[in-house]
Amino acid sequence: MISLLASELLKVRGRWLPWILSVVLAALLALTIFGPYLSWRGSGTQSLEEFEQQSFVLPWSLAAILDTVHGVGAILLAVVAASFVGTEYGWGTVRSCLIRGQTRPRYLAAKLLGLAVVGLIFLAVAFALGLIFTLVTTRLAERPITLDVPAGPSPAEVPLMFLRTVYAVLPYVLLAFFLAEAFHSTAAAVGGSLIYTFVEGILLAVLGGIGGRAADMRLLFIGHHVNAVLELNRIGVGPIQAGFVLRPRPEAADLLDPAQATLALALYCLFFVGASLWLFQRRDVRS
Amino acid sequence: MPSHGPAPSDVVLRTVGLTKRYGRLLAVADLDLEVRRGQVYGFLGPNGSGKTTTIGMILGILRPNRGHVELFGLDARQHLAAVLRRTGAVMESPSFYPHLSGRANLRIFALLSGGVSRRRIDEVLDLVGLLGRAASKVRTYSMGMRQRLALAAALMHDPELVVLDEPTNGLDPAGMREVRQLIRNLGQMGKAVFVSSHLLHEVEQTCTDVGILKQGRLLAQQPVSELLQRGQALELEVTDAERAMAVLRGLDWVGELTRNDNRLLVQVPPERAVDISRVLAEHGIYLAELRPHHNTLEEFFLEVTGGEEPL
Ligand SMILES: Nc1ncnc2c1ncn2[C@@H]1O[C@H](COP(=O)(O)OP(=O)(O)O)[C@@H](O)[C@H]1O
Ligand SMILES: [Mg+2]
Repeated sequence: MISLLASELLKVRGRWLPWILSVVLAALLALTIFGPYLSWRGSGTQSLEEFEQQSFVLPWSLAAILDTVHGVGAILLAVVAASFVGTEYGWGTVRSCLIRGQTRPRYLAAKLLGLAVVGLIFLAVAFALGLIFTLVTTRLAERPITLDVPAGPSPAEVPLMFLRTVYAVLPYVLLAFFLAEAFHSTAAAVGGSLIYTFVEGILLAVLGGIGGRAADMRLLFIGHHVNAVLELNRIGVGPIQAGFVLRPRPEAADLLDPAQATLALALYCLFFVGASLWLFQRRDVRS
Repeated sequence: MPSHGPAPSDVVLRTVGLTKRYGRLLAVADLDLEVRRGQVYGFLGPNGSGKTTTIGMILGILRPNRGHVELFGLDARQHLAAVLRRTGAVMESPSFYPHLSGRANLRIFALLSGGVSRRRIDEVLDLVGLLGRAASKVRTYSMGMRQRLALAAALMHDPELVVLDEPTNGLDPAGMREVRQLIRNLGQMGKAVFVSSHLLHEVEQTCTDVGILKQGRLLAQQPVSELLQRGQALELEVTDAERAMAVLRGLDWVGELTRNDNRLLVQVPPERAVDISRVLAEHGIYLAELRPHHNTLEEFFLEVTGGEEPL
């Protein structure tokens, strides 16, 4: 398996896509943190509104950073997943790998593993970058740098918050992975997952607004469960200005039980991986 | 599947009733092939006859509708990973990672095969004449260079069976000659080689055995040497073709006879020319012309395919 992973990582070498996407993510993160900070500076007041505190002052800003890491990360990593799987069909290199005696389950496993390594590095770098940004804004706003606020996380909880975010990114990435496998195409998978993410955001808001039976239908969507999991990252209860997140901020009463939501996301992931493998196993490989 | 036939351990590749449909099109029909160690098997057929489809099924990337493939005496479907590691293949229009160098591409494939050292990679790059361009991105390679890189990839793990789908496609004449020589060498090294081609003279020059495919069906399968022996004939023009036919039919060392007016085609080794003229003269029949006739694989091909041009 080590050599399969090594071969996957070799394939990524010299591809510019992860680098371009990293720049995009860094820019959006900077905007998330510095945007609210600059507008606060511009207003000339010294006191902080609650939403301003949530946006760029530690430790509250952790949730804002992770929301952006999730929202943007899910979309960008979906693009990466679609490209990892789809380009091999475009180039015809799936054939070249399979005829070397790499079984189909191993081929998919290696892809997932390679994707996991790239994705984890990508999200970790993004989180670290967000932390640096918010350290800067917290210092500039002359607020203390501490986790020790009411309902603040312990130092051990910060990595947990990050892992929670990674977990909530996973279903979107695997959706793109599945679509690329189903359509043998990067473009179809990127398009499909972007449309899904976009439509889901709108539908969740609309269905929630209608309430009743319609609100229950939100259970079908990944985002509804993601909201419940990410809500655990929130410190305090104030609203936050989450500029790049398509998800609407949920009402507390509206949230699912996080354990149940975690399980639901696991089922989505299993379904996408299982369906990809099933399709891959039973179809001819053509380029 | 139990093996049968002579020296079963020598059979490296066998297909049994292999059949593939694309919708209503029957691309490969009930194909029974057998390739042994040391054989260079030419899989000859016109474009669209099902060569690539057959090779796809042998390598496990296409699923047969019926029948199965045995490699090294094992069911290929059940032991795909194991048998493919002992196999090297060049697919039709071979594919690589275009953003990586030729050498990096080989390293990726080497990792998948296992047990290929960096030195070995350079060795095969040298063998196919690409060592000088090994650091260039594959994107910049010509069709012929990709074909050579594919050959290097197919050979680097020293496989016992080499499967090649029209490996001289896209090569210049010198390249073709080199690759044909390489294929012959592989056979002499005791490997089994299965090579498809739509070029008769290529098969004639490089292969020990030939199977002829037409519209997905195997029409004939035999050693090239037998074919060429079959092909040895004398062409004669005689004064009395009718009587000459009768005389020659009575000789047990004369094979098939065909007549065209006063011209006869006699299937007989050319060194029998003297005997032929003597016997006919004894019967008062005289030769206006006598010359050796080299029946080519092409004639055989046309004969079995019912006159369809191979190209
Ligand atoms: N993916 C496909 N879908 C439909 N028909 C195909 C496909 N691949 C090949 N064929 C058809 O199957 C037949 C055999 O093709 P192929 O195996 O590529 O022949 P060859 O390699 O001998 O030129 C041809 O008629 C071809 O058009
Ligand atoms: Mg072909």
